Amino acid sequence: MSGISKVFVANRGEIAVRIMTACREMGIETVLGVSEADRDSFAARMADRVVCIGPAQPLQSYLRVETIITAALGTGADAIHPGYGFLAEQPELGEACANSGLIFIGPKPENIRKMGDKLVAREIVKELGVPVIPGSELVHDFEEALLMAEKVGFPVLLKAAAGGGGKGMKMVKRPDDLKTLFEEASAEARAAFGDDRIYIEHLISNARHIEVQILADRFGNIVHLFERDCSLQRRYQKMIEEAPSPAVSDDMREKICKAAVGIADHVKYENAGTIETVLDQDQGQFYFLEMNTRIQVEHPVTEMITGKDLVKEQIRIAGGEPISFAQEAIAMKGHAIECRINAELPEADFRPSPGGITDWRPPEGNGIRVDSHCYSGYFVPPYYDSLLAKLIVKGDDRFQATERMGSALAQFTVTGVDTTIPFYQSLMKNPDYLKGKINTRWVEEVFLKEY
Amino acid sequence: MGFFDQDDIIQILKIVGESKIDELHLEMGDLKLITKKTSAAKIEEREPIPERPSEVAVQQEAETQEATPVPTAKIEEMQPVSEAEGEGLTPIKASLLGTFYRAPKPGAPPFVEEGQAVTEDDTVCIIEVMKLFNTTKAGVRGYIRKICAEDGQLVEFNQILFLVEEAADEEMSGEERV
Repeated sequence: MSGISKVFVANRGEIAVRIMTACREMGIETVLGVSEADRDSFAARMADRVVCIGPAQPLQSYLRVETIITAALGTGADAIHPGYGFLAEQPELGEACANSGLIFIGPKPENIRKMGDKLVAREIVKELGVPVIPGSELVHDFEEALLMAEKVGFPVLLKAAAGGGGKGMKMVKRPDDLKTLFEEASAEARAAFGDDRIYIEHLISNARHIEVQILADRFGNIVHLFERDCSLQRRYQKMIEEAPSPAVSDDMREKICKAAVGIADHVKYENAGTIETVLDQDQGQFYFLEMNTRIQVEHPVTEMITGKDLVKEQIRIAGGEPISFAQEAIAMKGHAIECRINAELPEADFRPSPGGITDWRPPEGNGIRVDSHCYSGYFVPPYYDSLLAKLIVKGDDRFQATERMGSALAQFTVTGVDTTIPFYQSLMKNPDYLKGKINTRWVEEVFLKEY
Repeated sequence: MGFFDQDDIIQILKIVGESKIDELHLEMGDLKLITKKTSAAKIEEREPIPERPSEVAVQQEAETQEATPVPTAKIEEMQPVSEAEGEGLTPIKASLLGTFYRAPKPGAPPFVEEGQAVTEDDTVCIIEVMKLFNTTKAGVRGYIRKICAEDGQLVEFNQILFLVEEAADEEMSGEERV
């Protein structure tokens, strides 16, 4: 029996719905904190209780630690689930929970702090003998950067130590460009994170993004739930995720998953987390990239192939229970693909398209899952991200999954706002994608040029 | 165009009303919705005033066949009008979520009682967010007619805390007028 009986959900949109679905199935009551813009959202209708935590702007609502804690205490919740984004990776929320006698459904603050600093994480991982991308420690100025870049070999990537979401990240092809781009990267990092520390990595040009889902509990049990392949990206934003990866051999899988468990073990990790790696397709070598200390947007692909419920496990672990299954009990079955359906117009450089949805008819059928908060008549507010739904399909193999995805996309009717559905339909017919012959720059360098 | 009903329009008006948008032109199929906020209805930070109905014009093009008729008058009728305004009272709303306290400290007399006269700068309550005490001013001049929140309870953002019967300067005696 879980020690949690009422969960305060500190998020919105599809992930709020997802968390509350898990709570319902576990017989746990839910309280949802909403901004003014989300008062009448689908998630709000679903919650046992709703409180308005502030105006639409996230800085005055979803990002306020004190308000969230006060709201959770005032409504008698005993735990807070942060979802992803917003406060999910702010150690301050976990600390405030601990000080207020609330349970934070996520890793310990020190886990978040340690792994959130990319340079610290890189050092920890290196000590464990897990390969990291050839590159530097911190570089303090342009001269040092040039020296390092030449040692590592051009092209290089400049990255912010505090980074995330592509901010402060610059690709440098030639030494001549380094000065300007180094200054730009520092300035961006300072603006985005208040921390202008930059480090350098060798750029792997033919790369895939491979990540491993892990779960860990306070009893020292750690399991992995295999990998996800999130190589299909645009501007460092994931668009399609699938599992298993068509580019990972059994041998490679064993290595990556073992490394991921080792990292989680070393930092005494608790709850759900993801180890991200870069796979160099030319060298057949993987490198540690970073660790995400939250439930991820793309967690459903893992759930589809393993049959495990990651959000329920998060709640169980946070409530003091052990993981409900052992490593031996986790097997991969079939192939799952997820498309992130956004309210964006691909033809206009993916310009966001908020507004009223007049008709919303998601696909249904065998092997189809839709995680969404949308409905006919829903007004997509302009204050938040543009994710409308995650369409996830499962097939016996990758070929069947791509066919099913194509047909599910064709069944998906959304009117009133522009969506990325037609973009994905076109992708599902692309020979390179179907053969799995892509890398993290393929969408921008090849596909979008033809689209 | 059969997908757009009155609830949807009310929903849109509500979102526009609560946002900083002053004017919205929306066209969907045969329906055209233009909403404008009157300048008086702009929300001022320090002086909570009731939301006034937006000026709404709903134009429907003649060719509409299957569309649900959306008569203009009906829409206007259904605009959000706060209960308070219906009774001619002005609400004082919570500027943030927190714990509502009627008195400066436990056991002390409350800042205001029902029937008491208040002016704009009078403190009417405290809202606590994690040991931070935020005083709330009346923001209006008049008589407290109703206390709508319970001492020590959680109040939401924008929740109505008090209802005030506004009074002009010369009418105010400063005494209680129960």
